[in-house]
Amino acid sequence: MDSIYNVYKPFRMVMFFNVLAFTLMFLHEDKKDFITLAWGIGIILLIFGVYVLIKWRHWGDEYLFLISSMLVSIGLMMIYRLDPDIGKRQIVWFAGGASLFLLSYLIFNLMPMWNSKKLYYIYPAASFLLFTLTLAYGRRIGGAINWLSIAGINIQPLEVIKLLFIFFTASYYKHRESLKALSLKIKGNDFRIKSIYIYGVLSYIHMGFLVLQREWGGALLFFLIYFTLLYIFESNLKFMLANVFFAGAGSLGGILFLSHIQTRIDIWLNPWADISGKGYQITQSLFAIGSGGFFGTGIGLGSPELIPEVHTDFIFSAICEEMGIFGGTGVILLYLLLVYRGIKISLKINDIFYKALALGISIMIGFQTFIIIGGVVKMIPLTGITLPFISYGGSSLISSFIALGILQAISSGKSIQMEETHEGE
Amino acid sequence: MFEILSTVFKYIFIIIIYYFVYAIIRLIYLDISTTTHTGKKLSGKNPYLKLINRRETLNFRVDESYFLDEEKTLGRSNKNEICIKDPFLSGEHAAFLRNKDVWYVSDLGSKNGTYVNDEKIDATPYELTDGDTVHLGQLNFIFVDVREV
Repeated sequence: MDSIYNVYKPFRMVMFFNVLAFTLMFLHEDKKDFITLAWGIGIILLIFGVYVLIKWRHWGDEYLFLISSMLVSIGLMMIYRLDPDIGKRQIVWFAGGASLFLLSYLIFNLMPMWNSKKLYYIYPAASFLLFTLTLAYGRRIGGAINWLSIAGINIQPLEVIKLLFIFFTASYYKHRESLKALSLKIKGNDFRIKSIYIYGVLSYIHMGFLVLQREWGGALLFFLIYFTLLYIFESNLKFMLANVFFAGAGSLGGILFLSHIQTRIDIWLNPWADISGKGYQITQSLFAIGSGGFFGTGIGLGSPELIPEVHTDFIFSAICEEMGIFGGTGVILLYLLLVYRGIKISLKINDIFYKALALGISIMIGFQTFIIIGGVVKMIPLTGITLPFISYGGSSLISSFIALGILQAISSGKSIQMEETHEGE
Repeated sequence: MFEILSTVFKYIFIIIIYYFVYAIIRLIYLDISTTTHTGKKLSGKNPYLKLINRRETLNFRVDESYFLDEEKTLGRSNKNEICIKDPFLSGEHAAFLRNKDVWYVSDLGSKNGTYVNDEKIDATPYELTDGDTVHLGQLNFIFVDVREV
């Protein structure tokens, strides 16, 4: 086995990629600044350190961090190329994310109280508190109220709430039998509301808050996570159909009565009608992807900076422009592998809480990628959501790494009873 | 200068990404194929019993395969080396015995009997050869012996 591992060390390729990327970045700058090389060495040491730690201590699945570090490397190169200052900040965020990745691994393994029944109502309560705070004190950046300023640091509460929501969902499936039905007395008649309806309503309140914040992408993401897990774990067909109708009616209502959604759909259907105004962003993105061709223009030779918000939402267009369709497809393949690993981990676990949690995190990464990549290539209406691990943004990067740390902890199986057999699906 | 370098590098970057994807898939694939049999690597030294039932149709825990590295008894009680909670098995159902390199199976007086190649066997050890089917309770096994003699 050792010889095989030595010949194909994907880890070396991540290192090699970073060496090349930062050499190129160094040459790209007008005044050759050796600080760039120093940042590059920092990145390489960081990835090396975390990877060796995982391998050496046998901290579960090694591929999760490998794949995500490749994604981060691609993202860092693009962001650094677009703006070295933002790139440096992103490197700092990555260092923070990597340490929180390890920290959340340790915390999750050391404290096995996350699935306790008491927390079932605490997760949504915490989410609603964060939502309320955001609506009351939040700042509006780019159409949506989604920023909260705490002691001078801007955070996006949505990134935290995503994780809380997955925990809440997982803990529902763990405790659904033992949760009491709510009894109501209205005009002498007893109504009993089953726990699944309470769960459904609480989940829709999450989405309702997101709609109030005009965070359409987030609402869609939550619904997809909610419904996929429902489809997997719930056998109640009637409830599922009710959800489909409810969501269908909700989105139809949104399309008919909310002008914001109408605008987005109009832009999606025909961005060329208002090319200098509302359609500017998406058309620039399409021009960028188109000008890239198969192999791209080469790093630093394209002009992705013409797209507004290119370093956050539209980073995929920049990758497609400068690394071509092949580069873009490579990125999608990496996400596919990451989600595959997550689902594989979730299949091996017996405990339903950890199973749902691992699955929830994997599909969160998958759907988020789908929503934003689908948006920038004009396959679905565009909604602002970050591309996990690649987009610029501290909250997004850190919450993605925390989620990955939890997945890593689940894959190590130290706090969870796992099936001893490895099946060869 | 930078243009030439960047043009060369863009191909290298794409090659690295795809090679990385290939290497990861390869490693995952190797992981799967070497751990197919109860997590142990196939040593090629010991014969094993391979389950041919579909595991989903059985409502108790059973492994894909059981290695015969030493003499083992099979049954429902925990005292057996191979313990399967199949309600159609007896507490001590059958024994797998070895004489030098030859493996035998013998019935330990079970209620529902042990069948080798659809023939019911009794307490006298019955010699197993590669490809024999062993039927006990609801379970169907194939005796796999790929040792190089």
